[in-house]
Amino acid sequence: MRPVVLKTVELTVSFGGLKALNCLDFELCEGQFLGLIGPNGSGKTTFFNALTGIYSPASGNVFLYGEKITGASPNKVYDYGITRTFQRSRLATPLSVLDNLIIGNQRNLNFGLWQNIFDRKRFKAELKKQTEIAEALLSRFSRDLAALLFKPVSSLSMIDRRRVEVCRALISEPKILLLDEPSAGMTPDETRALMDELQDWRKQHPLLATILIEHEMELINKVSDTCVVLNYGEKIAEGRYSDVATKTSVRAAYLGED
Amino acid sequence: MDLGFFAQYLINGLVQGITYALVAVGFTLFFGVLDVIKFSHGDVLMLGAFTALALFLGLDRLSTPTWLSLTIMLCLGTLTMALLGALLCKFLVLPLKESPPLNTLLITLMFGSVIRESVRLFFPNGSNPKPFPALLPETSINWGNLNLRLDSVILIFTGALAIVLTHLFIQKTRMGLAIRAVAQDEETARLMGINFTKTVLMTFALGSGLAALSGISTGLYYQEINFSMGLMLGVIGFSAAVVGGLGSIYGAIVGGLLFAFLQTLGAIWFSVPAYKDVFAFTVIIMLMAWRPTGLLADRSAERV
Amino acid sequence: MAANRLVGRSFCGTRLITMSDLKTKLEILLGVALCVVVLYGFLYLEHEWEIGLLLVILPLAILFLKRANILSDYQQAARTIPRFTLISFIVGVLVLIVLLRDEHFALLMLTTVLLYVTVSLGLTIQFGFAGLVNFAAIAFFGIGAYSMAVLNYHFHALPDLLIILFSGLTSALLGALLILPILRTKGHYAALITIAFGILLRTFLEVNDVFGGPQGLKVGAIEILGWNFSDSFPSVLGGGSFYMAYAIMALLLAAIAYLLTRLIEASWFGLNMDSVRLDEVASASFGINIPRWKITAFMLGNFFAGLAGAIYAAMSGFIAPASFNFSDSLLLVSIVLLGGIGNAVAVIPAALLIVVLPEKFQVIQEYRLLLFGIVVILILRFRPSGLMPRGLRQYFPRSST
Repeated sequence: MRPVVLKTVELTVSFGGLKALNCLDFELCEGQFLGLIGPNGSGKTTFFNALTGIYSPASGNVFLYGEKITGASPNKVYDYGITRTFQRSRLATPLSVLDNLIIGNQRNLNFGLWQNIFDRKRFKAELKKQTEIAEALLSRFSRDLAALLFKPVSSLSMIDRRRVEVCRALISEPKILLLDEPSAGMTPDETRALMDELQDWRKQHPLLATILIEHEMELINKVSDTCVVLNYGEKIAEGRYSDVATKTSVRAAYLGED
Repeated sequence: MDLGFFAQYLINGLVQGITYALVAVGFTLFFGVLDVIKFSHGDVLMLGAFTALALFLGLDRLSTPTWLSLTIMLCLGTLTMALLGALLCKFLVLPLKESPPLNTLLITLMFGSVIRESVRLFFPNGSNPKPFPALLPETSINWGNLNLRLDSVILIFTGALAIVLTHLFIQKTRMGLAIRAVAQDEETARLMGINFTKTVLMTFALGSGLAALSGISTGLYYQEINFSMGLMLGVIGFSAAVVGGLGSIYGAIVGGLLFAFLQTLGAIWFSVPAYKDVFAFTVIIMLMAWRPTGLLADRSAERV
Repeated sequence: MAANRLVGRSFCGTRLITMSDLKTKLEILLGVALCVVVLYGFLYLEHEWEIGLLLVILPLAILFLKRANILSDYQQAARTIPRFTLISFIVGVLVLIVLLRDEHFALLMLTTVLLYVTVSLGLTIQFGFAGLVNFAAIAFFGIGAYSMAVLNYHFHALPDLLIILFSGLTSALLGALLILPILRTKGHYAALITIAFGILLRTFLEVNDVFGGPQGLKVGAIEILGWNFSDSFPSVLGGGSFYMAYAIMALLLAAIAYLLTRLIEASWFGLNMDSVRLDEVASASFGINIPRWKITAFMLGNFFAGLAGAIYAAMSGFIAPASFNFSDSLLLVSIVLLGGIGNAVAVIPAALLIVVLPEKFQVIQEYRLLLFGIVVILILRFRPSGLMPRGLRQYFPRSST
């Protein structure tokens, strides 16, 4: 059995009276690819936001390798090795692809005043290293995109933007990757291409645990090891996609039956 | 301090507070529908007062009776400013809807500066303070230390009435419903067949009309107006709206009265009158640091 | 054979580079010389028709240069050797100062432009990089000026350079009072806080007798190593107006501020500030410490404003609250916008236009706030990125290939 990386115990997030997440128990193992599904408003993105410190949970706990990290700030969560993409792309569009990727690699940058402003030789060496890392990472996803390293993100196509967003999340070599509906705004073919590229990366980083929020059931079926289904902030099913999809409670949640 | 003094401060504070609340309601409305701050609001207020003054000067030549002058000034003053507000929205605010919020702020700030400078340069002798006619009855009653001026009472009631009517308009009419719908969620409102542009323009007209009203009240109360009065009143109105909680009409009223209360308190404590503003603003800045989203607004989380 | 050709080519290549290097340098120098001539005319000429003519010819010339791609080639060249370009321009302005040595008014204008450039660079860091709105730039300039007046009077024994430095620090430290409210609030709210602060500071200075009330304070001249700046320029160095010393000092300050701004932009500091401006949620999710960058930008910008204010105070010899109006803060914001938000070079032409034009045209003088208001509205409406939009970040000089 692979060790558990991330665990939540009775995690609850509420907005006013509404419980967006209700007593959620959840486990993620090393190297696991977990699909998080559920109808709109079922609390999937809220779950990501609660994990990454954007919302603070009303009660319950989050554990990373058994260590309690509940309520940690977004900065801290990043330092622990959890990174994410956003449902609506949140890249710094006027900046270059390189700049966006370097932003993702905060943890490995030197912010000393001396090196940044005065010792430009050392800064140049660090820049060179970061550029190489970024280029190598990008070219794994798309060689064409790697050639656009010095172009502003605003000039990229949707799929390239998604790629940059995924690479920004991967460049710091995190332990856990959270993908919030990467297919939004892309064609099924593009989504498939991106997923294949991601699977390729996972082969080389077998410990990386991934949670994927997705509406495309076919995709979930194809890439996920297991699935968790949320409805009204509660977990209503868990298991292999093929098992989960046939459950009546899950069908009811999607089709709105009682 | 005896009761008379206390009552005197209370009445003066109320007149001020209602004026501020009128301005703050405008800020709250604009922010509600469009999430923008119209920084020219104070200058629209000032222009409203000057429009009324110009109307008065014209009507005075025709020796119109006072009540009629006052009615015309109020109606035309507010209507012109309502129109100006709608135009500002159509040509400067809405086109910038997709650009960074900072640009909207700057463009309205600069528009305010243009209004201010235009009045200073083009109104006859505009850089000096102008006497504003005393059109309200000047009767007053004395109770001990309290000098209750009838005009104060009228202004408090007019202001309160305007706010109540605005509230009713928003709560009870179809247009009000549209405004609330747009404030809730622009996309859904559009899908439900609400004319977004019309609703926003209407809101801007309404808010700007209220500003003109408060400009005219200020003129009637102090019997003097000047081209730079809008800057301070705008900043105060915005502070009031923010402290109360942007987007909430009750918040605007509470904020307006609170600001007037702080100024009054400052005036009692400090011998130098100018310190009353320093005091009030310091408290406001501290309140903002303490509760950034205001006293009454619900904490809204950003969509991620 | 192939290796030989390779060697040959690379040999030719290096020789070509040195040749083209020299050519680039000459190009840069030519550009500097042209700028000096135009600026000399702009500052020296007095008749309105002369300036008018210059203002008709100049845009046409710029348009021509742009059409013929000379302007973009020039920018390209400047990007390959930025250090040489910067030094050449500094020397160019020094030459300009010497040329104008007997013209009090022209030197005063030039100094004011340079001081405004310094403040605008501070605003560029705050507002162009970190996205912090500051509508109290003139208040921080004023704090620097008042500190200079007070410190110079009470601690006359201290060297004046140290006093100028302290004045900048005072400005940054008083600005620190606003950090908590600014960090806790966003966008519009932060704007309100700075506007309120600016108005408050003016009121405070006006009613406080310690600071001279509305009449203001006298300020002693700067004295460095026994050289009193209010005397004429030493005849050993050719003599000239006392403004020369202030102009040179302002030039040095502006150059240092410019260099620092560029270095910040071309480092992780600038990268993180940009990220904070563009998206706080994403920044925080990637480990960026948002308060750290906002505080750095805010303090540094106000420090620049304070330094400039201190030199301004010593040069004028007298300061009063009336010189630090809200509308002056708006004027400074206009400079940053007109140039192009976040572009450090752009504030220089913008400051020149906004400071010098009204002085040259009496008509404009009266109407300047109105005109600049309209100009900024038009810019925001039709060209929000300014006259010289900021380009992509360039960490190091582009290689000439």
